[in-house]
Amino acid sequence: MHYVLRRLGFYLIAAWASLTLNFVIPRLAPGDPASAMFARFEGRVQPEAMDALRAAFGFTDAPLYMQYFTYLKHLLTGDLGLSYAYYPSRVSEVIGTGLVWTLGLAGCAVIVSFVVGSLLGVFAAWNRGGWLDSVAAPAFAFLGAFPYFWLAMLALYLFGFGLGWFPLRHAYSHDLEPGLSFTFVADVARHAVLPAVSIVVATLGGWMLSMRNTMVATLGTDTLRLAHAKGLPPRQVMFRYAARNALLPNVTGFGMALGFVLSGSLLTEIVFSYPGTGYLLILAVRNQDYPLMQGLFLVITLAVLAANFAVDLLCLWLDPRTRAHA
Amino acid sequence: MKSALLLVPVVLLVALLVASCTSSEPRPRQPGTLFVSVEQQSAWVRNFNPLFTGAGSRWPTRAGVYECMEVFIPSTGQWTPWLATAHAWSEDHRTLRFTLREGVRWSDGRPFTAGDVAFTFQLLKKHPALDAGGAWRFLEDVRAEGTHAVAFQFSRVYIPGFSELAHQPIVPRHVWEKVADPVTFTNPEPVGTGPFTQVNVFRNQVYELGRNPNYWQPGKPAVSALRFLAFPTNDQANLALVEGEVDWAGNFVPAVDRTFVSRDPEHHTRWFPLYGSTVFLYPNTTRPPFNDVRVRKALSMALDRERLVDIAMYGYTRPADATALNDSYTGWRDAEAASGAWVRHDEAAANRLMDEAGLTRGPDGLRRMPDGQPLELELEVVGGWSDWVRAGQVLARDLRKLGIQAHLKTYEFGAWYARLQKGEFQLAIAWSLDGPTPYTFYKWLLSPRTVRPVGEVAAANWHRFGDVEADALLTRFETESSPEKQKELMAGVQRRFSELAPAIPLFPNPSWGEASSKRFTGFPSAQNPYARLSPHAEPDSLLVLTALAPREP
Repeated sequence: MHYVLRRLGFYLIAAWASLTLNFVIPRLAPGDPASAMFARFEGRVQPEAMDALRAAFGFTDAPLYMQYFTYLKHLLTGDLGLSYAYYPSRVSEVIGTGLVWTLGLAGCAVIVSFVVGSLLGVFAAWNRGGWLDSVAAPAFAFLGAFPYFWLAMLALYLFGFGLGWFPLRHAYSHDLEPGLSFTFVADVARHAVLPAVSIVVATLGGWMLSMRNTMVATLGTDTLRLAHAKGLPPRQVMFRYAARNALLPNVTGFGMALGFVLSGSLLTEIVFSYPGTGYLLILAVRNQDYPLMQGLFLVITLAVLAANFAVDLLCLWLDPRTRAHA
Repeated sequence: MKSALLLVPVVLLVALLVASCTSSEPRPRQPGTLFVSVEQQSAWVRNFNPLFTGAGSRWPTRAGVYECMEVFIPSTGQWTPWLATAHAWSEDHRTLRFTLREGVRWSDGRPFTAGDVAFTFQLLKKHPALDAGGAWRFLEDVRAEGTHAVAFQFSRVYIPGFSELAHQPIVPRHVWEKVADPVTFTNPEPVGTGPFTQVNVFRNQVYELGRNPNYWQPGKPAVSALRFLAFPTNDQANLALVEGEVDWAGNFVPAVDRTFVSRDPEHHTRWFPLYGSTVFLYPNTTRPPFNDVRVRKALSMALDRERLVDIAMYGYTRPADATALNDSYTGWRDAEAASGAWVRHDEAAANRLMDEAGLTRGPDGLRRMPDGQPLELELEVVGGWSDWVRAGQVLARDLRKLGIQAHLKTYEFGAWYARLQKGEFQLAIAWSLDGPTPYTFYKWLLSPRTVRPVGEVAAANWHRFGDVEADALLTRFETESSPEKQKELMAGVQRRFSELAPAIPLFPNPSWGEASSKRFTGFPSAQNPYARLSPHAEPDSLLVLTALAPREP
């Protein structure tokens, strides 16, 4: 329990530090949002509007530390402010339009990739030199080495545009009413196939190789020799003894990957026009939309920290040594 | 644990298989629903606030849900009556009266009156953030005179102010007087006088606007609904256009005739009239050698604009002339000013001018500043804007032929714009400002009133150039109501511009517009230019929205 509390304290400090960075970094960028917004009109709005825009966005010349305290206060009350790019919509509302789709798509893709990749790694190591080990592993590593953007475009072109098997864009057909009907759920799944598979294909190789390598090392240990000698069934040896021990590095990596799901699926969302948070992030940066940027970073930061905390707990359960230490 | 781990991928794989087996046939689309691609967004946010220009209100809030009193048509240079049927200036040009159309009702059935117009302008006065056109810089008072007349009292004679007043979207008093803060109001259920006011569908990927049940033009609009899909990038929007999913778009399409028009020549059309803002190469005239008009003209003559428009703009536009005016100002163009030779490619003349300015070539062929330093220039553009980056490459090459070490530097948008506004650049490619007359355009190119010191943010006149003589003409223009005299004054301004070459015009931007007449007819075209085809072209897009009709089956 002491160990858990200590980890929790560490995560709280980390959260505070990253929130502060969130505040500082955008303000170091040149330019200001009202000008950026004014510029988007490229001469279609009269220059007199610029001062008015500044006034509307509530630009203050208040000292930075004052702005910082206002920022913290608003965060604590859950008030993320108004987005500049989508002014006057609330940041929470803007993030809400994308969060569920990103979580659903990238979250599932990462889980599938992790589970399938790790399992393949286990089998590859178990049957070292077999088909899986000598052909599939390098093949997936090769695919993963392609630029993701190119891979996704290729998938979209071949299976969406060329063969017409899958839709070209969006998370569901625009003429369907969202709801828990079979048609709608199937439609959502159909729209998710290409983006999800492209993520899985691009990342599977990494999981597989790291799992295989640790597993090979584990297989050479005395524990495993003893397990074999005891005459345990091979499946039990493979999963309970070898895989469980070899899984630790992959689980740590999984925590990181889960956390980065929210920002990392940015390219996927662009290629497949998937209405997620990744694209919002680009838009926020382009428009110097500080409130939206901070809102997104907040969500991403908290997700990374929460995922890592969960992984810490998982490791505690997987690896008795951490428990003994505590 | 083993079985749980295995379960997840199995369930997901089954789900994917089921999904792939379900039909992928597109469902038939509602006849009469016009698909429009105008904004590029990954997800829609519900906002129909027409007053705050800085906001991302959904198209066509400012001209479609809401309407203005009169509409300017660039192809004819004329004003079309809309919510107002007529206007008249008082003898001393200090009062402007609009006569409002009778029988107009708001979409909730309440009558539209002069009180609504007066209220809208009072809102702008109360909330300066809403006053994007700066109407209250020249207004003193707005009064409703009965139900169908409204009088604007000016604080000074300012004829160009007419367009600000005529183009202001008018909101209903009975709705907006209850709004606590009109600047942050997202107006989710708009009540307007425009052709499309009913929000039928609003989801993150799609929204649809239906007809105003009380629209004042009988039988219009003939289109039953407007539907908008979220396309986050130009590529996705263009794909939908080429595939025939979108009926009307205003996107930049590379090689449009090959990729779009030729796919279905009978129905697919594009019209790119040169009504967009003119693109300039701005020299920072506060810095030597750009303070010398001979150098500015020499740089201009070193440029091969024909090649520039071919390479950077796919030949969609033409080289700018010496007035720098785009084609919506054709009636204003002064032939003498336009014939200025300094925008024509002439390397010999450019070299001569540089020599005259004292920037002679050294033994290495590079030109030197009077202090002996080689002339080294940085040309700034936005990193991702491929057309401008290509233009910059062509320009830098032409300048190097003149003996100038010209380097193209790309910046992230925010950094580029900050440097431009503060005058912290040497050469930069940027746009210009427009209005119904060339007044705004030249004011921000030439008037000392628009010059800000280097380091201070300027909304335009980034090159920081002021000419007293041109300004005197512009000031007289503000109080001149006779069209002949206006033209004469503006001709004078154009000649000053051509003489002084404060900025180097490159080419006018096309106004991008593509349409498919497969399901709808009545789009504007070069043969029938009753409005611009681009849906970005507000408010004349109102005329398109009311002119389109579904094709008979």
